[in-house]
Amino acid sequence: MVSVETLFDKVKKWISSFVVGSGYTNMMTGYMTGELQSLVFALILASFFRIFSIPLGMVLLVAVIAGILYFAPLITTLEKESSNDLNRVLFWVVIYFAVIIAVTLWGR
Amino acid sequence: MNAYPSNLWSIPLLVVIPILVAVVVNLVYNRARLIKVISIASAICLALISLISSYGYHWFTGQPALRPETLTFTFDPGFPAWRLALEFYFGPLQQVMIFVMSLILIFVVAVATTGLTKRQGPYMGMIFLLFASAAIIIMVNDFYHLWIAVEIGSLVVAGVVVGSGTSVSHKAALKYTFFSALSGAGLAVALALILGLTGYSNISDAIMYIQSVNLGEMSVILYVAFGFFALSWIYAGGLAPIHPLKSEVYGASFPHGTAMLQTQSKLMLVAIGIVMLRVFGNLPFVREVMLAISVITMMLGVIMALIQTDFRWILAYLIVSHSGLVTVGISLGTTDGLTGGIFQAVNDVIYMTVLLLCCEALYYFGGKTSTRYSLGLAKKAPWLGMAIILGTMAASGIPPFNGFQSEIILIQAALKAGLPEVAAVILMVSVTTFIALFRAIYRLFLKPPETSEPVEEAKVPRSLYLGLWVFVAITLIIGVYPNIVVSFIKPVAEAVSIPWYL
Repeated sequence: MVSVETLFDKVKKWISSFVVGSGYTNMMTGYMTGELQSLVFALILASFFRIFSIPLGMVLLVAVIAGILYFAPLITTLEKESSNDLNRVLFWVVIYFAVIIAVTLWGR
Repeated sequence: MNAYPSNLWSIPLLVVIPILVAVVVNLVYNRARLIKVISIASAICLALISLISSYGYHWFTGQPALRPETLTFTFDPGFPAWRLALEFYFGPLQQVMIFVMSLILIFVVAVATTGLTKRQGPYMGMIFLLFASAAIIIMVNDFYHLWIAVEIGSLVVAGVVVGSGTSVSHKAALKYTFFSALSGAGLAVALALILGLTGYSNISDAIMYIQSVNLGEMSVILYVAFGFFALSWIYAGGLAPIHPLKSEVYGASFPHGTAMLQTQSKLMLVAIGIVMLRVFGNLPFVREVMLAISVITMMLGVIMALIQTDFRWILAYLIVSHSGLVTVGISLGTTDGLTGGIFQAVNDVIYMTVLLLCCEALYYFGGKTSTRYSLGLAKKAPWLGMAIILGTMAASGIPPFNGFQSEIILIQAALKAGLPEVAAVILMVSVTTFIALFRAIYRLFLKPPETSEPVEEAKVPRSLYLGLWVFVAITLIIGVYPNIVVSFIKPVAEAVSIPWYL
């Protein structure tokens, strides 16, 4: 059984692992809000897949929850993937293009 | 009687005047006073032309549609007939979009000519070419001009960014131009595929062909064309995954330049989005794909804005995020969705201009825009502090400002389409916009300075303050009387809309 203190310590350690400083600084509030937003957003986006297919939506929702647990904190991953590095942008452009073509052709 | 006059006088003027101004201000290069007079006078002329012009066509080739019952010609865009024309159309939607853009142009050139000390001619030329490229895309009804204007628009964006003269802006421009090769070529491929499939370069003709002829197995070509078209749309508007490059472009420019860049970008998003909806809107999953791109852009933009520590970059990412708000409405494709999306674009460019002009004012107080500093500017410049808070309220969709009116239409459109998750995301974006902006405003304006180092005394130009209050007043007027703008948008939204089929 995990005590409240231990859980608090774990959360504190997790927070300080991606931003050094106090939890109430201007920068930290941005990261914390961003983390919460990205978490909710990932869940909403997964539920959005019900438009295409309800079973697929359910599978994706479970996959997204697993992804959130694995990639947490999400905000650092998002920040890294949103960098202006040309290769990274090119990589995502290719992925997007492939998904756009695949999804629309699938709907035929 | 022909209710839609051909070769309308105003259409060439809206394109030729900015191009001519770009040439003239380059010729007079560094004669600041002359450039200022020419630029402001031309911008006012463009606003007046868009305001007083009647509606109609300018066509370069082809023919008007023939009414068989009366054997009279018509330019009515709703009349089904082969037009075979390269043409521009100026209607209520084009009027409101070009008028708002020229209003922003007036204050952008006034602020730029006051603040810039060198290279005024080429920089002003780029600003006017930016206007010309957006005006063409807003009015165009053929694929050739669309492609040319998108290409010119991309290069001019790089020109405006380079004009700010820092190494960061040069890098941002280079990266953005690098991608223009990819998406410009993509658009060319898309148009070539549509031309090959239909044989028509006129957009109305191509749509009529697609709707009236069974394409059979050839419809696959249309899906591939949609993929390339979407790539170009993503690039032009800075939607995900191009958002890091576009936000870099916004963040690396002068704030007044960003005001013009974001206006061009959002109005292009609307214009190209409507073309996509008209050409591909009936294909399965096309609108879902557009919607998914929009939702991802909204959320990535606003999350990235939250973690920025510079006011310019916060605004840059919020502009990207709000581009997603615009495209959500267009992607829904319903009457309410289109009305909300286009209305959001108009509102967005106005309240973002307020915030960007406030950011420009910070340059006159020593140029510190990082939220690491506490400047306590509200005490030194209370009117500026008030303007930025009002701008933030408009951007966050708080009544009685204009942002509220368009966001409420968008939320209702999403709910009506049976997509509550999209409505929830729109609400999240509104709230998060407020948080992201207020974090910076608190540090820069409200929090007393942490050090005894005095903030530089500044004389903010009157033109900047005038622009600020004009746009704050517009946000309030449109917020109280939304029909001033909605009445121009609604007829187009009704004509283009497609019911959502969930």
